[in-house]
Amino acid sequence: MHTAEPEGRRTFLAWVSGSIAAMIGLTVGIPLIGYTILPALKRRKPEWTEIGTVDDLQPEAPKEMTCMYSVADGWQKTTVRKTVWAVKRRTGEITVYSPLCTHLGCGYRWEPERHQFHCPCHNSIFAIDGSVLAGPAPRPLDTLPVKVERGRIWVIYKEFKAGTSVKIEL
Amino acid sequence: MGTGLYKWLDERLKLAPIRIALLDEPIPGGASWIYVFGSVTLFFFLLQMITGMFLAIYYSPSTEHAHASIRYIMDDVAFGSFIRGLHHWGASGMMVAIGLHMLQVFLYGAYKRPRELMWIVGVMLFILTLAFGFSGYLLPWDQRAYWATQVGINIVGTIPLVGDVLVRIIRGGQNLGAMTLNRFYALHTLFLPWLVMGLIGLHLFILRRVGPAGPWDEARAAQRSEPFWPKQVAMDAVAIGIAFILVVGLAVASPAPLADPANPSDTTFRPRPEWYFLFYYQLLKYLEGPWEVVGTLILPILFFSALFLLPWLDRRKERRPASRPAVLSAGAGFLLIVFTLLTISIREVASLPKQDPSVLRGKQLYQELDCAGCHRIHGEGGTFGPDLSYVGDVRDRDWLIRHFRDPQAVVPGSPMPAFGLNEQELNDLTNYMLTLKRQP
Repeated sequence: MHTAEPEGRRTFLAWVSGSIAAMIGLTVGIPLIGYTILPALKRRKPEWTEIGTVDDLQPEAPKEMTCMYSVADGWQKTTVRKTVWAVKRRTGEITVYSPLCTHLGCGYRWEPERHQFHCPCHNSIFAIDGSVLAGPAPRPLDTLPVKVERGRIWVIYKEFKAGTSVKIEL
Repeated sequence: MGTGLYKWLDERLKLAPIRIALLDEPIPGGASWIYVFGSVTLFFFLLQMITGMFLAIYYSPSTEHAHASIRYIMDDVAFGSFIRGLHHWGASGMMVAIGLHMLQVFLYGAYKRPRELMWIVGVMLFILTLAFGFSGYLLPWDQRAYWATQVGINIVGTIPLVGDVLVRIIRGGQNLGAMTLNRFYALHTLFLPWLVMGLIGLHLFILRRVGPAGPWDEARAAQRSEPFWPKQVAMDAVAIGIAFILVVGLAVASPAPLADPANPSDTTFRPRPEWYFLFYYQLLKYLEGPWEVVGTLILPILFFSALFLLPWLDRRKERRPASRPAVLSAGAGFLLIVFTLLTISIREVASLPKQDPSVLRGKQLYQELDCAGCHRIHGEGGTFGPDLSYVGDVRDRDWLIRHFRDPQAVVPGSPMPAFGLNEQELNDLTNYMLTLKRQP
């Protein structure tokens, strides 16, 4: 004999099964979403790296310096090597520029005889203080956070979006 | 909303026959709490599949990166420790559930004609679940994983004639290493899931064809029946919910362990398999020399043959446990042996000397200060400073502490820097150094 449950009881039993399924689905599902997405959104902590000493720089003579820092790529750590342009002004103030032209991200050079920075890609020209003198560059050269401790120069390497008139950190 | 959506889909996909086949299956004798374990096992399999797929997002199956990637999951990934905890404890949960499921089928004689095929597929699923456990254990590539797998594979090596060849095939080469890790990973995440999914499908197909066995009392079974939905489903759901809460509790309260990275040269590690293999591990301790092959080959063959052949060893139609004293006592005897061995083994493990926490901290300090940059222990580390593999034999506590405090005061001209350690750190590092001896 096939026995059937009364309707109210059937609804109750279906509700029991449904709520347990929902409880399990949420308890597992929400952490899984966070687990998958959050690490991808995590920003790196800025890291100060030493690029050299104040004495390495001559006044008003920008110098390309190497900046080595380690980047965590998940469980792997890789050392990244970048160059930056460091400038010591006559006042003793130190400025460090990102090595990428603000137009489209090419690498620019210092031209000592003209006393200006020149980007070979589209002929953007910058003064020693980073301001645009000529060419398509939409904003001055990007400065990097810099500090001097006991004669040593430390910077935080950053990159910025190319082609915009305002500085947007990537 | 649910019923509206169902109607909409039903109109287009003709779901009614499927719903009837899946949910209206009559259960002889009515729904019962005793039938929940198959569903709980299936639930754990699904939980393992889902958590396993997500673990694979961050896991790197190579001897170089496996351990670091698990460390990353545990320490840096949001909910990583929880997800790995669910997978770790879910494996144990699945073992318990499958054990209870088999026990219920055994007790009810539900493997008897016409359900022999369902039983055989079930035994295969049980063996594959053990293979899941064994292959998954290696993947974190920590000391536990490495040494327990080393022992597990060496057990296979004791099989006469073919043992050595089998060991090589399992390892994928001469040594337990990169080849082993990769094939265990492929087995654990690709081969076994497909095989198990196929066999679960077959197991359920057979169940739907032949129907559940119901109570052992045929008269009671014939008296009434009840469809699977909604009462049995609700009972299954409650059991699954309880099992799930237990596993969540364990995952939160006791995260899955991760020992030091696998180190083939560190033979001081005492390997121990997962609890569901412990009784067997204990049994092998008693079977030495010529008896070894009994434990590693003859008993396993007898055990699994008996399992597969059970429907033919116990072929009388009678399912009542009271009328099957021989089979029931054999089963009870087996369980008694398993649990006795398990208890002895757990007691032995509990009585092992625990590693001094100060030594562990010292070991960690050794890594944090990057001592291995200059010093070498059992072949690992630089050669600029003295080899420390057996430093505990040649230096005493007092010397080590004075030396760590001010190296040049003890060894004039030593290039070793003073690290400015506090008293506790000096003690921890010294305690670790003193464990580095030929005879511990």
